Amino acid sequence: MNVFEIISNTNIDYKEKKHLLAQAAENTLSYVNLSVKTEKHLKKGILCDIFEGHAPYRPRYILPDYEKYIEKGSEYLGIEPPKDMYEAVNALMIIYQYVPSITGYPVYVGQLDYILEKFIDTVSEKEARNLIKMLLINIEKTLPDAFVHMNIGPKETRAGRTILEMERELKKAVPNISLKYCKDETSPDFAKFAAEVALEIGKPYFVNHKEIKNILGENYGVASCYNTLKIGGGSYTLVRLNLKKAAQEAKDYKDFMDNVLPNVVDSLCEVINARAKFIVEEAKFFETSFLAREGLIDINNFTSMAGVFGLYECIELLTGLKLGHDEEATKYGEEILEKIKGVIDSIEGYGCFGTNGKIGLHAQSGIDSDIDVTAGVRIKIGNEPSIYDQVKTEGRLHRHFNTGVSDIYIFDKTAKQNIDGVIKIIDAAMKSGIKVFALNTSDSELIRITGYLVKRSDVEKYNRGEVIREDTVKLGAESIKNNKTLDRRVREIE
Amino acid sequence: MKGFVNRIIENSFIDGPGNRMAIFMQGCNMACLYCHNPETQRMCTLCKKCLEVCSTGALSIEEGRIKYDRKRCIGCDKCLEVCLNFSSPKYFEIESDELVKLILKNEIFLDGITFSGGECTLQTDFIIDVVKKVKNNSSLTAFIDTNGLINDENLNKLISCVDGFMLDVKAVDDYIHRALTGVSNELVLKNLNILAKTDLLYEVRYVLVEGYNDSIEEIKKLAELLKELNDYTRLVLIPFRPLGVKTHFRNMPSFNRVKYDIIFEEVYKILKERLIKKD
Repeated sequence: MNVFEIISNTNIDYKEKKHLLAQAAENTLSYVNLSVKTEKHLKKGILCDIFEGHAPYRPRYILPDYEKYIEKGSEYLGIEPPKDMYEAVNALMIIYQYVPSITGYPVYVGQLDYILEKFIDTVSEKEARNLIKMLLINIEKTLPDAFVHMNIGPKETRAGRTILEMERELKKAVPNISLKYCKDETSPDFAKFAAEVALEIGKPYFVNHKEIKNILGENYGVASCYNTLKIGGGSYTLVRLNLKKAAQEAKDYKDFMDNVLPNVVDSLCEVINARAKFIVEEAKFFETSFLAREGLIDINNFTSMAGVFGLYECIELLTGLKLGHDEEATKYGEEILEKIKGVIDSIEGYGCFGTNGKIGLHAQSGIDSDIDVTAGVRIKIGNEPSIYDQVKTEGRLHRHFNTGVSDIYIFDKTAKQNIDGVIKIIDAAMKSGIKVFALNTSDSELIRITGYLVKRSDVEKYNRGEVIREDTVKLGAESIKNNKTLDRRVREIE
Repeated sequence: MKGFVNRIIENSFIDGPGNRMAIFMQGCNMACLYCHNPETQRMCTLCKKCLEVCSTGALSIEEGRIKYDRKRCIGCDKCLEVCLNFSSPKYFEIESDELVKLILKNEIFLDGITFSGGECTLQTDFIIDVVKKVKNNSSLTAFIDTNGLINDENLNKLISCVDGFMLDVKAVDDYIHRALTGVSNELVLKNLNILAKTDLLYEVRYVLVEGYNDSIEEIKKLAELLKELNDYTRLVLIPFRPLGVKTHFRNMPSFNRVKYDIIFEEVYKILKERLIKKD
């Protein structure tokens, strides 16, 4: 859209227009410096920067250390360390307005159960419930973006349980919620309650705490769509590689592995590093952000993400095999991912101190305009094998990713009557190496698109041309059209 | 040892506790008017009616029996519709070892297995063979979903080997039972009594059919009986649905929800939490 088209568009509201106008202004600058080869890959769509803009001036994802903020307050914001739950909730609502991201809304709102639990005895039980409800409503109204993401767990807390109870009552797409789940730490009762809520409202999703802790340490968060990053850090950028398009460039599998793939991954890293460098050195983000000045973020926890998607089609094109149905296909998948990881690890990741100096690998879960190409390393929608084979196949692929990978498993309504059975499957998935397990029911009012949720009724409103408060509804509605989101195989039970 | 299996559902949340693999055995000793999977009732008589309606060539005759090609099947189920014998060309023979392998392949996802049908206990020896082998190699539990028409010998064998029973009681009144199923419920009630005295009777199921077994008195009788027999067996009240039904009952509407709720409330007074609602 050009500037006039943005201004005169009747489908978007004022705030969204302002966001798009800022983007248009940014894009009057030329793109960060790239080699000719890499520019070609971007133009062809083999690489895609997900419309991040030509001249990035803030990291894509930021995960502030909210615990530190609550402990120490903020000089910049003029906030004293909160003494009770009222002050804590107020302090949180304030800082959210100051956390930049690619969308303009904070993609991470913190480990809210642990943060609030510390204050829960400063007020009565009823007040605590009211305050948590007020905070959730405030987040939903002032940050109307389904990438806004909250974390809870692994341990059960009163605040954590109240958050889920309230969310079940409110039934809103925002905020997204992840439960850090670990059989050793999460009580069975809490896990069951969380699964029950997830079957009803599509959240929280279950994060394999043990696996991710092993990679990033205890201090990690889940932000936006399944991005696992260090708290007090984030990701400068996410540029993704379309493996299907890359495969179309190759003569055969050998040519793909020996020539095409190393070449495009090299370019992928080039774009990422150029963008990260621009944020740090040209936009001087860390020198200007109070979050950095006050230690709520630290460049040492940051990284960048190399996303991949379309593995299903890539394997199908090069070998004729179908992931999830042919055992051999999984082996090819693993080989391809190992190759990608190998190339990434041979290159220094600019400012990627949070992941040992290398760019993080991420299975990108798709965007609304993707057509005929499957998200991340998932199995093509509608072609999913039995849930057991799906989990086993994807479990083997998930282990290659250190900054986020996931899939969505759709159950039919009988699951609601047998939560023990659902937990059994989740536990088996965790054992099989699944890093993020999102669940949803086929009749749910909240539909999980890629990693975020939208309300079925909002999608219908959008399709009728009404202006919607949440920016992600547009993305969701387009995605449903283009990606056959609603055709995901339902785990139907007779 | 070989068994006749109609189909296997790898992931079921409604056939016992937790996540279970449900194995539907072929063949039944009742002929319930409201049967939801009538194609499991009888064995194939090779009448070949199904061959005539299969549009994709998924069915053929080989070695004197119908051969079913899963890859060609589009799932239109016309073959099941035309079968006058309440059978299916899709059921198959499977070696117990092969079935055990299938089960153990997905052990980490499962709480256990459930044999259903048809009337699975008609193939008790096969079940025992499978269950013993599964238990030797895993901690999976085995449940039996039965209509209760089991002879003493088979019942005793099963009691000593499985972890739970789900028993269908079609009617408490023998006359109604005969009308609905074609057989007396004498043996069913006897077995209900026997099983209730073990710790294995996980669940009793009762399908509410308008005008047949839906008088509150009739259901209360069953609830009182269960209450008297033990303190743990759950009773699931299932509203009739015409889905899959092949007899004239297919024209009967789904069981009235308001009536269902009234019955549920009444029976709840007797069994409290042991009574389970079904959507």
